[in-house]
This record gives sequence, structure tokens and C-alpha cells, in this order.
Amino acid sequence: MKLGRWQLLFWTLVVLVPSNLYVIFYYAPVERTMGIVQKVFYFHVAAAWIGLLAFCVVCGASIAYLWTRSDRVNHLALASAEIGTVFISGTLLTGPLWAYPIWNTWWTWDPRLTTTLVLWFMYVAYMVLQSGGETEARKRLSAIYGIIAFVNVPLVFFSARWWRSIHPVVVTSEGIGLDGKMKAAMFVSLAVFSVLYTYLVPLRMKSLALRSKVRQLKADLLN
Amino acid sequence: MAPNFWNKVFLIFKKDLKDEIRTLSHLLGTLVFGLMLVFTFSYALQLADLETSRVFSAALWVSIYFSASLALQRAFAKEVESGTLEALLMGSGDRGVLFVAKFLYSLSLLLIVELVVVPLMWVFMGVTGHKLHLGLLVASLFLGSWGLAAIGTMLNGMTTQLPGSRLLFPLLMFPLLIPLLMGAVLTSQGAVLGETQSVMGWVYLLLAFDLIFTVVPLLLFDYVLEG
Repeated sequence: MKLGRWQLLFWTLVVLVPSNLYVIFYYAPVERTMGIVQKVFYFHVAAAWIGLLAFCVVCGASIAYLWTRSDRVNHLALASAEIGTVFISGTLLTGPLWAYPIWNTWWTWDPRLTTTLVLWFMYVAYMVLQSGGETEARKRLSAIYGIIAFVNVPLVFFSARWWRSIHPVVVTSEGIGLDGKMKAAMFVSLAVFSVLYTYLVPLRMKSLALRSKVRQLKADLLN
Repeated sequence: MAPNFWNKVFLIFKKDLKDEIRTLSHLLGTLVFGLMLVFTFSYALQLADLETSRVFSAALWVSIYFSASLALQRAFAKEVESGTLEALLMGSGDRGVLFVAKFLYSLSLLLIVELVVVPLMWVFMGVTGHKLHLGLLVASLFLGSWGLAAIGTMLNGMTTQLPGSRLLFPLLMFPLLIPLLMGAVLTSQGAVLGETQSVMGWVYLLLAFDLIFTVVPLLLFDYVLEG
């Protein structure tokens, strides 16, 4: 039996995801002051990373769409936005779980939190823009919005940072302020989440392509 | 940019302004909406018994944002309604001309609305402006409106091509305007409280935002009004 790219990625993930959980919960030590709640960090950071990566892909694919006008590229942008939203939502939900016991508040207007929330809003706006039929105008305008929204991200971040910041900065230019095993667990999480993303995006692209095919067939049938 | 460019911009801008002054249909509606917002806000804050000079700029900018979500939905929508967009496109030849003209028109609408809304909000909220720096307040209003008008014009050009544009417009606009909101609120606040030195950084942020979101839409506008 020939193992396709899909199955290969799928089975890799079947092995990787439980290993990631093992690394997070057993290999990485329990943080001395924060305790078990610090484990959320590995999911939180990895999900945020995918959210940002997905957003860069949306912007890149949007530029490529204006260039090539290929449906595949449009599907890549949309799939990436959808999956990015799921991960960003994960970041926004796991953050408060940690913040409440540690900061004694569910939410604060820290630059990272603010930027992440604005990012989430822009993702949702982008998906609303894309929803409801694949007309030429909709695809083109979504691509434009994908680009403008991307330009906005650093502006949000730097203006919010200028205002105030209490978010822990783990990764700085001097290195990563983490215990060796924790650092390893973080990188494993980042890697596994990235593999998950590269598995999900083409899968969703395929279903989007099928959806447009069905729409096309329906339209042909009605005419 | 050739002198021809600015001639065309001026002609379209003049046409829009004339149209607006003659009918007043859109301006009046937006003004009344702005006044209602100001009234509602001032009253609610009065009931909550908050220190007015500290909440003034936040309430003011939220009112301006909501008024803008009406005011800025006009520039291209009216051309689409009357079926004149194609003619304008052919007449101007350059989409950049259209963007700049519609931007100036949107900016003027916003500034006229603010001319009425801001003093009234000041009065309604009973702000005591002993330390008010009027120049800075005017600057913050102008720079804030500039950014609002630039993004609004671009998004209006986009959403009018799609069904459900009325809902789509604010949905697309508000997340893009968060950095502007920070700069505008903090600068106005500094102006009201007389803390001019500490907010100069935010003036530069507003300038940078305005510059970026005037240039980027201008570059992308050929794609917005394609075909």
C-alpha cells in the first residue's frame, strides 16, 4: 500500500501529539512558584505562534492572489485565516486560565493581549468578508483587507507597548529565560503545533476547493 | 503628481461638496446621530458620576468613531446608488484621483460633524477646561479624522461592491482603527488636562498612522476599483 502525503502527516501527528503531551506534563519540571498552572504556557505560546504564522501566510497569499488571481491561493489565504482563528482563540482562552491565579485578573490591556485580541477581530472580519459566495470582487477585496490588516499588526503592538506592558517576556534578545527542560518542551510544542498547522491547512484547502466545485456544479445545474 | 492630477481631484471634490450642500441629506442625518450619541454618552456618564475631564476624550472619540461609521459610508455608496461610479472612473482615468478626492470629501464631512459635536459634548459633560490647550485638541481632532477618513474611504470603496455592505463596513473598520484610537484619545486627554509635553509621542504616532494609511490605500486602490 502506498502511503500518501496525507496519511504520512496524519500518522506522524498521531505519534507527535501524545509525545508533546508527555514532554509537557512529565518531562518538563513543574514550575516552583506557579505550580501546575504554568503548563498552560506550552499550549499558549505555541498557539500564539501559529496564529501569527497563519496571519503572515494570509498576507503573503493575499499579495500572491492580487498577482496571480488563482483560486488555490485564495483558498490558502482563507484556510490559513480559519485555522489561525482557531489557534488565536486558543491563545486568548488559555491566557486567562494562567493570568487569573498569577496576575489576579482575567484580562489586562497589555500590548500582547491587546494585539492578540485585535488580531482575532481582524481575522473574524476577514472571514466575514470572505463568506457568502466566491465572487471575483469578494476574493479581490478580501486579499486587499488581508494586506491592510497585516500592516496594522505592528502598529497595534508598538502603540500598545508604548502605553504599558506587564506581560512576561520569556524570549528576549539575550536568550530565553527558561529552565533547559522547559525550553525543550516549549520548542517541542512549537514544532508539533507547526506540523499540525501544515497538516490542517492543505486539508481545509481541499475542502474549500470541493466547496467551490459544488457551488459551480449547482450554478451550472440551475442555468 | 502632475498639476492635472490635482485639478481632477479638486473637480470631483467640488462636485461632492456641492451635492452635499444642496441636499444636506447625509450630513444632517449624521449630525443628528452624532448629537444623539453625545447626549446619550454625557447623560450616562453623568448618572455614573465620573470625573468628566478624565473621561471626556474617551467618550468623545467613541462618539466620533460611531459617527464616522455613518459619515464615511457615503463617498462611494452614493456613486453606486446613482450609477455614476463608472462614469467617474472613466472621467478621472486614474483611480488615485478618485481616492484622494473622496478622501478629502470624507474628511470634510467628518470635520463638519466634529465642529458641532465636540463643543456640545464639552458643554453637556460640564468639563472645566482651565488648562485646556486648544491647539493640541484641534490637532488631535484633525489628525484623528485624517486617519479615519483615509481608512473609511478605502473601506467604503471596497464594501459598496459587496452585498450587506452596511454591516460589513464597521466590522472591517473598527479593528484597523485601534492604534489611531489610542493616539487620539491620549492626545485629546493631554490637551484637556494641559499635559502637552507628555503626549507629543502620541502626536507622532498619529502622524505615522495617517501617513501609512494614506499611502497604502493609495497604492492598493487600483485593485479596489478594478474592472
